[in-house]
Amino acid sequence: MATSSHSNPDPASDDANTTPPVTMPRQQAAAGEHDVDGAARTNALSNMQCVVDLADSVVCIADDLHERILQEIAGYNDRTMPDAQKALMRALTDDERLLRQYAHALYADAAEFVIRDLREPQHRLMALTAEAAEKIRRIGVIGEVTGLVGGILLLVGSIARGQFSQVGAALEKIQLHNATLKTLKPGSTAKT
Amino acid sequence: MARRVLVLVGLLVAGCASTGQVSLGEVREFADASVRLGGYAELSRRYRDTYERESPYLSPQAERVARDTDARRRAVFDDFVAIQKTLVLYMQTLSLLAGDGRYDLSGRIDDLGTGLKAMTDSGLQQRHVAAYTGMSRLLTRVITSRYQNRSVDTMVRDGNADVQTLIDAMIVLTRIYEKANENERKTVLGLFNAEIPMANRNTDRMLVTLAKVHLQNKTAEYKLIDRRYKLAQQGLTKVALGHQKMRENMDKLSSEETRHMLAGYVHDLNLIRDALSGE
Repeated sequence: MATSSHSNPDPASDDANTTPPVTMPRQQAAAGEHDVDGAARTNALSNMQCVVDLADSVVCIADDLHERILQEIAGYNDRTMPDAQKALMRALTDDERLLRQYAHALYADAAEFVIRDLREPQHRLMALTAEAAEKIRRIGVIGEVTGLVGGILLLVGSIARGQFSQVGAALEKIQLHNATLKTLKPGSTAKT
Repeated sequence: MARRVLVLVGLLVAGCASTGQVSLGEVREFADASVRLGGYAELSRRYRDTYERESPYLSPQAERVARDTDARRRAVFDDFVAIQKTLVLYMQTLSLLAGDGRYDLSGRIDDLGTGLKAMTDSGLQQRHVAAYTGMSRLLTRVITSRYQNRSVDTMVRDGNADVQTLIDAMIVLTRIYEKANENERKTVLGLFNAEIPMANRNTDRMLVTLAKVHLQNKTAEYKLIDRRYKLAQQGLTKVALGHQKMRENMDKLSSEETRHMLAGYVHDLNLIRDALSGE
């Protein structure tokens, strides 16, 4: 695929035709923003794949150019290459690296597509996690209730046996548990 | 008053149906192994820092394009990492919820038992102590076992689709990181492959030697990192599969077959983690 336009002093003009498709799929995806979740995601991912394919083909062109440069250099064996030819080879390796940077830009585009439309699934998963954390917190609270039951049992036992000296301590315990229950605000003990 | 208290206790107990023990140990181990996996965050950072490594090898013209791409990589880095953070948080919470002993209130029950025993000495009958302790144990079991199991079930069922979407995104991103890394390797090593054969003047000898040493080191570096992309992808695929299987087998979580299957995923994830951390 290496062309004979090696001496082209402005390699950017060669590569200019690789840049417009970078923005094109972006616009397509933007048009699909109001799609339902799954469809928008499929759209984004198919756009992403197009951009990755494009980037891969730019890498391929750079690889071919690199091969061609190495062949040219190898053709000289141990003979010293004239300076003019060396300058040409260096201009070509510059072209190759510029091509690779365009491929990098396309990969960055593709990566941006991947996270497009991920906000919803992420939010839902965070909400679910928060809900589970709240459940865990409530398990903790129910644990306090068990303690409360213990206090009540003590109280009941004391009253049943007429041991009124124990009632004060038992009541105090119950009040403590009640206070604990009230101070446990939603999310205050959620593990994050 | 004593009657009101008894009614309250009765209500508390009536709300709790009896249930069998369900083991969530494998679910917890799977969630823990998923949290510990590693790889993705490190490779995301490596992707973000591509320009830093590449810039010495770039021509001014390529450098201009590279700087622009660098700014874009940095702009989305937090979003890339947020996906993983969401997943880690989800798995940590799942692990907490599936934790067998985490909410075991037996210590508390024992305290209660001790308290009641003291009461026995002062008149409460042994059978009362046994009854109260038994009732509290039932309450605890319902809280710690059935309730948690139901929550784990809800979480896995409701979370699975989004978990799959996020892991899929992480796998796709890791593939893009891998491609970008390959492109970077060719940029860096390619320069030396072209320049070294052209530098054959006597005065170039020292420079060529240094360049060869540098090339050797860089080749080794890329060879090491190459493996990590594949390992990270394998690990993420295992997490996705394991969660999917857990979702499908939620109703028979205690079966030997399901537990064995989940243990298999845990084993594989640990092997991948060891390979990732063993470099």
